[in-house]
Amino acid sequence: MIGMTGKAWSLIKAGAMAGVVAAPLALPQQAAAQEDYPSEQLEWTIAFGPGGGNDIMSRTIVDILQKYDIYPAEIAVENRAGGSGAVGWGYLYSQAGNPYAISTTSGSYITTPLQADTPWGPSDFTPVALLASDDLVLLVNGDSEIDSFEEFIESARENPPTIGGIGTINVDFIVAKILSDQADFDFDYVSFNDAGEMNTALLSDALDAMMANPAEILGLVESGDMKALAFSGDTPPSALGDVPTMAESGYEIGVSLPRGLILAPDVSEEAQNWWIEAMKQVVETEEWKNYIETNQLTENIQYGDEFEETILSTQENFETILREQGVID
Amino acid sequence: MDLFADLWMGFSVAVSPINIAYLLIGAMVGMIVGIIPGFGPSAGLAILLPITFGMDPIGAVMMLAAIYYGSMYGGTITSILLNTPGESATVASTFDGFPLAQQGRAGPALVMQAVASFVGGTIGVIMITLLAPAFSQVARNFGPPEYFLLAIMGLLTLVVMIGANWRYGLISVLIGFALGTVGVDLETGQGRFTFGSAELIGGIDFIPIAIGLFGLGELYYAFYQGLHASGSGSIVQYSKQSRFWPEARDWVETRVTMFRASLLGFVVGVIPGAGATIASLMAYSVERSVSKTPEKFGKGAMAGLVGPESANNAASSGAMIPLLTLGIPGSASTAVLLAAFLLWGLRPGPLLMEQNPEFAWGLIASMYLGNMALLAINIFAIPLFVWLVKIPYRVLAPAVVVVCTIGTFSVHGSITETWLMFVAGIVGFFMRLFGYSPAALVLALVLGPLAEEALRQTLTISRGSFWIFLERPGSLWIIAITIGILLLVPLMQRLGRPPKLDAASGEED
Repeated sequence: MIGMTGKAWSLIKAGAMAGVVAAPLALPQQAAAQEDYPSEQLEWTIAFGPGGGNDIMSRTIVDILQKYDIYPAEIAVENRAGGSGAVGWGYLYSQAGNPYAISTTSGSYITTPLQADTPWGPSDFTPVALLASDDLVLLVNGDSEIDSFEEFIESARENPPTIGGIGTINVDFIVAKILSDQADFDFDYVSFNDAGEMNTALLSDALDAMMANPAEILGLVESGDMKALAFSGDTPPSALGDVPTMAESGYEIGVSLPRGLILAPDVSEEAQNWWIEAMKQVVETEEWKNYIETNQLTENIQYGDEFEETILSTQENFETILREQGVID
Repeated sequence: MDLFADLWMGFSVAVSPINIAYLLIGAMVGMIVGIIPGFGPSAGLAILLPITFGMDPIGAVMMLAAIYYGSMYGGTITSILLNTPGESATVASTFDGFPLAQQGRAGPALVMQAVASFVGGTIGVIMITLLAPAFSQVARNFGPPEYFLLAIMGLLTLVVMIGANWRYGLISVLIGFALGTVGVDLETGQGRFTFGSAELIGGIDFIPIAIGLFGLGELYYAFYQGLHASGSGSIVQYSKQSRFWPEARDWVETRVTMFRASLLGFVVGVIPGAGATIASLMAYSVERSVSKTPEKFGKGAMAGLVGPESANNAASSGAMIPLLTLGIPGSASTAVLLAAFLLWGLRPGPLLMEQNPEFAWGLIASMYLGNMALLAINIFAIPLFVWLVKIPYRVLAPAVVVVCTIGTFSVHGSITETWLMFVAGIVGFFMRLFGYSPAALVLALVLGPLAEEALRQTLTISRGSFWIFLERPGSLWIIAITIGILLLVPLMQRLGRPPKLDAASGEED
C-alpha cells in the first residue's frame, strides 16, 4: 500500500537538483561525438511505488548520474505504480521510439506478462544493461535438526517438506522447483504475500523451510533464529557466513531475477550505446558498490544483446516450469 | 534497573535541539499526511526517506517514526469532520466521530480523539519499554494457523457490527467478501475476476472503497436531504453555544475504554500484517459489545470514537516490536522504516537492540516525546479544524470531492482505483439510503482475503488436516480467547445492563 504521486517526487527532485544543474558536463566519449543525444530532459519511469527495491535502485542510479554529471540534462523521475509493474512498463511501451524514456526492471518484468494480458513482453523493449540479480537463500528454523544442505536434501527425500516463498508466479517457487527436480524430492509450496508473514511462519515452526532474499533475513541468521543452508547464486553475500552454493552440491539452478535498465521500444542504436557507456561509468562508482553491498545483491553485469538473451532465457525457463505445473496455460 | 538505565540513555540520545526539531517536523508531516485522505504514512515516509540519507540515523528515525504515529492523530480529523477517513486506520473513527460532529460536538470529539490517541500511543510506548522481548515471542508464534484464527476472531465482530438489521448486514458482508476475491490468487497464481486487466491483478484495495463509501456516499446523502439549500447550509451542525471542551460525562464514559482499547490495539499491532486498521475495527466492535448502551453506537457514542482511536495509536507503537526485535515489518509503513534501517547501515534483526542500543532506545524515548508534542499540536490546532465545519455545504462539497479524488489517486497513482472510488460513492449512497452497513462491507473486504489465504496456507502445511489448529500452542490460545469473549460478552451484558439501560434510555430522551 505504499503510494504517492510522481509529481511530489518531481518537485523534491527539482529542488534537490537546483544546485547541480549548472555544473560542467562530462559526457561519455561516444556521446560526445553524437551531438544531439542526449540533450533533453530524461523521463525516468519507476514501475513501482516509493520505498521498494526497484524504487531504491532507480533513485540510486539517478543520484549517481547527477552527482558525476554523466547525464547532461535534467532527469524527471516518476513513480507509475500499479498492476505489478504493468502500468509503468505499459507507459514505457507507449513511448516507442522516444530515446528519453527509460525504466528499470525487476522480477515482475518477467512474471507480470505471464499472469496478465499485457500488450508488451520483456523482449519488446530496448535493452541497456543487466546490473545485478536477485538470488535466494534456503533457510530452516534455528532450532531445526537439519544443519546442512545435504541433510536437508536427505530428509526431504524421506519426508516431503513444506517450503515457503513469496507468490506463486515468482522466482521463489521456480528455484525451489528446479532444486526439487534435480535433487529428486517432493515438496509442498506455501505461497505468502509478504516477507514478514513468511518469516514468522518459519519462526513459529509452521513451515519446514523457506526461500528468501538475503537482505531480509541477515539479522535472523546472525542471531541464530534461522539457519541458512544454501545459496542459489554463484557468490553468497559474505554476511551470511559460510553458506555453500547449490551449484557446489551439483544443483545448477541458473535462474535469478534480473535488475537492469531498459529504454522504450525501437530506440536508435546511438541512444542504446550512449546508455551502455554511461552505465559502464555508473557501476564503477563508490555509491553503486555501496548499494550492491547494503542490499546484498549479486553484481551481474551484462550489456545490450547479452542482457536481452538473459531475459529471454529466464522468461523461457519460467514459462516452461509454470506450464508444467499447470500454473499458467 | 537496566530498563531505566536503557531508557535514560535513550532520552539522553534523543534530547538534543536538532533531534527535537526533526521530531517536530516528523510529527507535523505525519499530521498532514494523516489529514489528506488516501495519502498515507507510508507515502509520507517514502517522501522524506531520501532526505535522511545524509542525516544521523537517530535523528532520522525519530523523524520517520513520528510521521508514522503522527498520521494516526491526523487521520481522525477528516473522519470526524467530513466522514472521510484520512487513513485506513481511522475508518472506524467515522462510525461515531461523524455523528458527533453532526450533533454539534465536533470540538469535544476532536479533543477526545487527541487525548485517546495520546493515551493509546503512550500506553503503547510504555509496553514497548517494559515488554519488547516478551512480545517478540508473540510475534514469532504467528504462523498461518494463527493468522486464520485471528481473522476469524475479527470476523466474529462483524456479528456485532451488523446489528439489528441482519439481512442487510449479511448482504453488506457478502459484497465485501466478493470484492476481496478479485485479484491473482496467492496459492495458484491464477487471476480471479480480473477479466485480463493488469490493473486488477493486485486485487481491490479497500482504501478507495472506504473513501468512496464513507466520504462521497455521505456527501451524496446530504445532498439528497437538501442540505445545500436548507438551514445554515453546513454539512454538520455548529453553534457557538456548544462547548469546545468535552463534558465530564465524556471522560467518565470513556476512561475504561481508553485503556482497554489501548491494550487490545497494542497486542494486535504486534502481530505482523494485522496492524492498526484491524486493531481499530476490532476495538470498535469490542467497545460496542461490552457497552451498556450499544444502541447509541453509530449515533454519536463517545466510546465508539475513543476506542478505535486509542487502539490505532497503540497498534502503531506495537508494530515497532517485530521491527525492532525481529527485523520483521508488520505493515507498509514499517517496511519503509526497515528499508531506511538498511540504508543507514543498520542490520535489522534480533540483535539490533543489543548491537545498537542507543539507536533503539533513542527511538523509543523519542516516541514518548513525540506523543506529547502531537497532543499539544492537536489541541492548539482544533479551533482551526472546527472552523472547517462552519464552511457552507455548497462550498465544502466540491472541495470534499476534490480531496477524495486526489487522495485516492495518490495512493497508487491509479485511475482505475479512482473510478472504483466514484462507483463506491454511489453504492455508499444507496447503502446509506436503504440501511445497509458500509462498515461491515469494509471489514469483510479487509479480513476476507486474509482469512482465505491463511486457511489455504494452513491446509497446505497440514496437508489437509484441521487438527493443526489444536496442535499449536499459539492457535490454542487464540481459540481460548475467542471462546472466552463469546461466553463473557453476553454474560456481562446480561449482568450489567438492566438497571443502567433505563438510565441510559432516559438520558437519550
